[in-house]
Amino acid sequence: MNSLDPRVKRLPSTGIVGQVEPKAPLDQFGTFEVFVQPREGKPFQHEGIVHAPNLEMAFVLAKEAFTRRFTCTSIYVADTRDVYVSPMTEGNENVFQLIPETPSQPGEKESYEIYQLPKRGKQHIHIGAVMASNPTEAMSEAKVKFQSDKVVYNIWAIPTTSIRFTNPEEKELWLTLPEKKFRDASDYKGGDKLKEFLERSTTTLRS
Amino acid sequence: MYGGGNTFEGIKTDSLAQEDPIKLQVFEARIARGEKIEPTDWMPQLYRKQLIRMIEQHAHSEIIGALPEGTWITRAPGFKRKLALMAKVQDEVGHAQLLYSAAETLGKSREEMIQDLITGKSKYSNIFNYPAFTWADSCFISWLVDAGAIVNQLANAKGSYGPYCRALERICAEESFHLKYGHHCVIYLASGTPKQRQMFQEALNRWWAPMMHFFGPSDKISAHTEILMKWKVKMASNDDMRNQFLDMYVPKIWELGFTIPDSKLKKNTETGRWEYTEPDWEEFKRVINGDGPCNKERLEVRRIAEERGRWVREALKAPKTSYVTPLA
Repeated sequence: MNSLDPRVKRLPSTGIVGQVEPKAPLDQFGTFEVFVQPREGKPFQHEGIVHAPNLEMAFVLAKEAFTRRFTCTSIYVADTRDVYVSPMTEGNENVFQLIPETPSQPGEKESYEIYQLPKRGKQHIHIGAVMASNPTEAMSEAKVKFQSDKVVYNIWAIPTTSIRFTNPEEKELWLTLPEKKFRDASDYKGGDKLKEFLERSTTTLRS
Repeated sequence: MYGGGNTFEGIKTDSLAQEDPIKLQVFEARIARGEKIEPTDWMPQLYRKQLIRMIEQHAHSEIIGALPEGTWITRAPGFKRKLALMAKVQDEVGHAQLLYSAAETLGKSREEMIQDLITGKSKYSNIFNYPAFTWADSCFISWLVDAGAIVNQLANAKGSYGPYCRALERICAEESFHLKYGHHCVIYLASGTPKQRQMFQEALNRWWAPMMHFFGPSDKISAHTEILMKWKVKMASNDDMRNQFLDMYVPKIWELGFTIPDSKLKKNTETGRWEYTEPDWEEFKRVINGDGPCNKERLEVRRIAEERGRWVREALKAPKTSYVTPLA
């Protein structure tokens, strides 16, 4: 291809110019929900999604997409399909009122991580975990354990085993960031150079 | 950040006729109270359609906008500039991912969006259809195109759609580096040799017209967008944003001793508005519709990247995956 860009000039031509084969469903993979812990001791909060072929790749891509500049202490990811979602409410309606209390069911119980939306327009925040034998029971258990006078608008439940957490030995992933000053606005102080330039140009004008 | 100059479709007067008037009232009252709309909330079809269009255009602009600057990574003067430019370009592509995700919550898949970009069905910021001839062009983009985009996106971050606002908050936080970096580069050219000064002046001459186009057609001729303003999809008129940009950056350009290639450019002290030669909107239309210096190249680069990445995506694809819309 003829271009000013030497890299574009070197691109091998492939396919037919201007034509792209229709993308198959899931060509861009499914989505995973990303949660970040901004500081030690703070709860995890939902930050966004990544597209990835599997949980492990989702973790890697989430690190790239969400912790490139903001340091955090930990991230984790879960498949969107593993998130159980309550209805959404508004105004003074507490979503816990819409969740039916189901009697504890027999069978093996597993742990579910619970997230609440305390303010519309903001992120979901982790509030704790419950033991339940299925997602409906997890919602009910969350109601028993976390309902208060404070209005919340939405509840998510994710089986703890479906989450790809940051392992303790991976914590050093974030240690490299402080050295990368070239990513920070503070590394670009042009003030002195500008001042010197302005002084010089005023002197030139005078002389 | 590269969004700007979104083009909206003209809105027909009967486009709300089929909507439930009570739901519409509740929806509008929520926006008027300053609350955000979330993906699971009821919304009029027109709101959904125009938001998808706007967020998608913004995402495409990030991807395509990375190309003219990306060109200069290997030729940036010195190791520090190379590192910084690489970090910036990586940011822009990351922003596209955040934005595609926000658009996706409205029900258009990423496959469809990428397809529509490459086939030319969707638009992106018109300014990236112009070439970056020298290092100084790249500096102009980093400083002033980003500055223009910041004016636009800070306004949009106060909009009504939750996922878009949250993506913009992250994006805006990363922008301060881009702007400072861009200004730093230009200060170094301005205080350098006569040749360096000349390089930036020439870049400024080349980019001024596209920069004036950046905020979209003049309010006098642009599609009526009152309802989009009421729904807080569009947060400021094109002319208001252009004026704000001129207010903030013309003095900084003049401070460095450069001239802006528009003899009519001056601030009217009575109205507080900038006066300028009316940008050539015929050229704007011609370029946005495909006939600009780089339109073909930009899309072709994306198409080749898609083609060449196909085997990787196919190798990674888990056979049993099924798709669900992301949550927020």
